Amino acid sequence: MNDIDNARVRAAAGEPPVLNVRGISKSFDKLQVLSDVSLTVGRGETVCIVGPSGSGKSTLLRCINWLEPPDAGAIFLSGRRVGRRAGGDVAMSDSELAQIRTRIGMVFQHFALWPHLTVLQNVMEAPLHVQKRPKAEVREFAEMLLEKVGLGDKRHAFPARLSGGQKQRVGIARALAVRPDLLLFDEPTSALDPELVGEVILVMRQLARDGMTMVVVTHEMGFARDAATRMVFLDHGRIIETGTPAQFFSAPATDRARQFLQRYATSTAAVADV
Amino acid sequence: MHLSVLDYLSLLQGAVSTVSLSLSGIALGVPLGLLLALVRWSRVPLLSPAVAGYVRIMRATPAVTLALLIFFALPNIGFEIDPVPTAILALTLNTAAFNCEIWRAALLDFPRDQLEASASFGMGARLRFRRIVLPQIARTCLPALVNEMSLLIKASPAVAVVGIVDITRAAVRIGAQTYRPLPPLLVALVLYGIIVAAFVFAQRSVERRRMAAATS
Amino acid sequence: MIKDFVIVWEHRDQMLNGLMNTLWLSLCSAVLAFALGALLTTALTSRARPVAALARSFVDTMRCLPFLLFAYLVYYGLPSFGIRFSNWGAGLIALTLYNTAYMAELLRAAWAGLSPELIEAGHAFGFFGLNLFRRIVLPPVILAAVPMIGNQMIQIIKDSAFLSIIAVPELTHEASSIQATYFVPFAAFVAAVLLYWVLCLIVEAAVAGVGQMAEARR
Repeated sequence: MNDIDNARVRAAAGEPPVLNVRGISKSFDKLQVLSDVSLTVGRGETVCIVGPSGSGKSTLLRCINWLEPPDAGAIFLSGRRVGRRAGGDVAMSDSELAQIRTRIGMVFQHFALWPHLTVLQNVMEAPLHVQKRPKAEVREFAEMLLEKVGLGDKRHAFPARLSGGQKQRVGIARALAVRPDLLLFDEPTSALDPELVGEVILVMRQLARDGMTMVVVTHEMGFARDAATRMVFLDHGRIIETGTPAQFFSAPATDRARQFLQRYATSTAAVADV
Repeated sequence: MHLSVLDYLSLLQGAVSTVSLSLSGIALGVPLGLLLALVRWSRVPLLSPAVAGYVRIMRATPAVTLALLIFFALPNIGFEIDPVPTAILALTLNTAAFNCEIWRAALLDFPRDQLEASASFGMGARLRFRRIVLPQIARTCLPALVNEMSLLIKASPAVAVVGIVDITRAAVRIGAQTYRPLPPLLVALVLYGIIVAAFVFAQRSVERRRMAAATS
Repeated sequence: MIKDFVIVWEHRDQMLNGLMNTLWLSLCSAVLAFALGALLTTALTSRARPVAALARSFVDTMRCLPFLLFAYLVYYGLPSFGIRFSNWGAGLIALTLYNTAYMAELLRAAWAGLSPELIEAGHAFGFFGLNLFRRIVLPPVILAAVPMIGNQMIQIIKDSAFLSIIAVPELTHEASSIQATYFVPFAAFVAAVLLYWVLCLIVEAAVAGVGQMAEARR
């Protein structure tokens, strides 16, 4: 059975989806960036959000962990409401929000590693000082994760000494270290030189295969086609189309999706070999 | 405010002292700093390391100690000197050292290709400096130079140790005479605030005029 | 002239006493000013408008004010409100409070230079409040601020010389005392200037040491 069917079975069994986004709207000043966006993500799914620049993809991602509070709508992580207390009227306190956030791992476009800490310390920082796990356990897990992303030997280096691809892999290890229910990727390869993109995509593919629940905002159509369980096409703040990668790439249902894909035709072909 | 007219006059006199001494120090110290920076930049043998040493020691020396050194020590080795020249000399020597570093930083950062272009057009060093280098570094150094000017004004009360009655000393004296030390000190505070603000305002209007000229 | 320097050397205890007092005053007020300045920075950048405005006016006032005048305000002015300090106490307090403003401004500049992404990552991983400040914001800020703190330290040492005017027995005061007693002005003040320079060298060496730590992370 594929992952979508798995998700349906779980939903039928009464397990809440990992992520439930309901009717999110957000505007900055007078500009409406998101309009009534809804989305559910089941366990083990890899959802790729694509769309033209300015379509609101990053904003949507940042609403999920309340880095941008939406103007309207609700977000639920494994059944627990994000950003507001149960009724929806009262905003969450900082510590309640932190508790939810620590169940979501985020990978940033510009890596956002903490420069005063070594690679290993970066990965250990949140589990130690937010989740308050015991140091030995955190260290062991962190070292294992760094091995997994292929950077075991760079444990004691400072981020400034790493290449972009290495930094992003550390970023992924850092996000995994908190043992999240959900991983968010905000254009993880957009800031990388082309030859460094592959090493990051490799790690992300492996994560998808391992059953990690991922929401990925990306321009890397090759990755989307091979690793996504579902595609979401966003344009001008609305979800225009969703579907399996097979459906989306070979037979897009809407004109706008078709136009978008045409623009990416060449890059899709080029990246297909990754 | 418990201050008589005479007291206010005394404070104003102090203000005149402060402003004139500070302006003298600035008028002498800014060009002197430039001269020293040029000596270091062109790496004149013997002079250049001497200037470097002078700058290092002067940056570590308090204005008070320097004023005392000049006033008491110069007569010791044969030069008689009055309080006012002492004050001007102390303030100048001090600020010149800091200005030297400010100018030098701008000179070191000056784009090499412009220098080469000038040379390729046959410009002599002096002409190049006057028409190409100086106008540009004057612009970039202005904020730092003005900052140093306000530091000089804040160091100027040091001249009290050689007997000059500046704003601060006038205020203390009035307080000692009237047994009410606070009011004159507060007036002194306001006076200094006005003087420093005047400098900052002057800098901002120079910058604004430059911006207007650049964009017109 | 050599004779003069010999006399100064014979009274080196007094000079060294002055040096130690300068060092002690400067170090204490620098440490206190840094700690208070860090607190003041949070007030400066606070979102509560009145708090930020109050902090801002304190910093701006101190930056317009000569240190000696502020020392006089503390020493001669406060007794009008019933608060009386010895010249030592007034000196230390004035030096500390005055430089608190400068430290706050310098830390604020270093803070503003931080990449907002780092802080956002901190939020995303569940850091907030004091935790965020201590572990994510403060370390890079301090590393960036160290050269400026070094300069401020030198400024503190120089400002301490003003306290000789209110008879605090620091280096300049002791040098002045020796020269007045034994008529050796050149030797005494040259010795004092050299000792100030040595202090400055020590500060610069310390800054360079920390600067290396910063370089590894740059």
